[in-house]
Amino acid sequence: MFRLRNPFLPGLLLALVGIVRPWLEATMARHMVAELPLLFAIGWLVAYTTGCADGRQRHSYCPAMLLSALLITSVWMLPVALDYAVIHVAANALKVAGMLLAGFLAGSAWRAAGAIVQGFFLVNWAWMTITAGLLYQDAPRQLCSVYLTDQQWMAGVGLVTLGAAVLSIWLIHTVFLPLSARPDETAEHA
Amino acid sequence: MPRSSQLPRYGAAIALVLVALAGLAGFSFLTRGFTAVTSDGVRRIDLEHSPRALSAIRLVDSRGAGFSLAAIGGKAGRVTLITLGYTTCLAICRTTLSGQAYLQQELRSRQLDDRVRLLTISFDPSRDTPAALREYGRKMKADPQRWTFATVADPADLPRLLKLFDIVVLPDGLGGFVHNGAIFMADADGRLVRAYDIDRPDQALADLLPD
Repeated sequence: MFRLRNPFLPGLLLALVGIVRPWLEATMARHMVAELPLLFAIGWLVAYTTGCADGRQRHSYCPAMLLSALLITSVWMLPVALDYAVIHVAANALKVAGMLLAGFLAGSAWRAAGAIVQGFFLVNWAWMTITAGLLYQDAPRQLCSVYLTDQQWMAGVGLVTLGAAVLSIWLIHTVFLPLSARPDETAEHA
Repeated sequence: MPRSSQLPRYGAAIALVLVALAGLAGFSFLTRGFTAVTSDGVRRIDLEHSPRALSAIRLVDSRGAGFSLAAIGGKAGRVTLITLGYTTCLAICRTTLSGQAYLQQELRSRQLDDRVRLLTISFDPSRDTPAALREYGRKMKADPQRWTFATVADPADLPRLLKLFDIVVLPDGLGGFVHNGAIFMADADGRLVRAYDIDRPDQALADLLPD
């Protein structure tokens, strides 16, 4: 039976990403909206698989871990960083390692951080991603040396969609659903 | 995960500050002090701070004469404005070449054309033969004494040429290329000292005008 905690799963997924990497990096949209989030998710899965993501007890290092993840993911929204990643093997290796680390750090700190700290970092990330996406769509000139202008428009659409989707899912899961469950709790206490 | 009570009292705050500082330092390095987000912008700033010596790459011009890129300043020590492209390009090369045509006209009218030369280098030597370059120069109304069209004498030198100028050339799937570009300024000593956006030849001209 398939288990998400299978210790081989992150390695298997990483190998698959490695195999399809040329296809993923052939367009700016796939590079930014598919490959980078996939690497981040694999890092998160490592935290989940190793049990690092299970801790519910709040600890004071969560903000530093989430800030690290936010900064690492921000780097790869810069056109110059994307160019380096496509042109230089070492930069690409740094990108892979960095995004895996970002996912691991975020996954390890997420549950322990609590809704307020989660919200602070998630809203910041979503705001940044949506803003970058809008800028990519609106840029009058080619921003990346390795991707065409029409590709950056598509990447911009993808980034706006990704930022809005993740923010919406988090808001529904962490804010609206618990709030909608509250009247029942109040009724029970009464 | 360690418990907070076991950690130094200010450990988390120090870690947060260190991460923020590391992030700022990293972004500052990557964007050259928060002034550029594109490769072309970063190259422009890098050249201003660290001029690059032109390599001794053999080029062949539209008359079939060979010369070394490192010696373009010549004995007279002229400044050269260089662009890279290919003659069948329907995209950014049009902008680049209209910029060079503008510079040719402005340099002539300001009587600067004796100390400034224009050089257009093709990175498509298989199609851009000397004859094709000559025809292209004629179409652009280029003054052969002041505006040279050239390509590499040996196609094996192309990677070295493109690396020197940080130009990325990718096949577009339609028989042409996707590439970035800039107007480069080489000083009299044969060093790349400036790069300008292809649609800002006026900035290159402003830097050439006497103070």
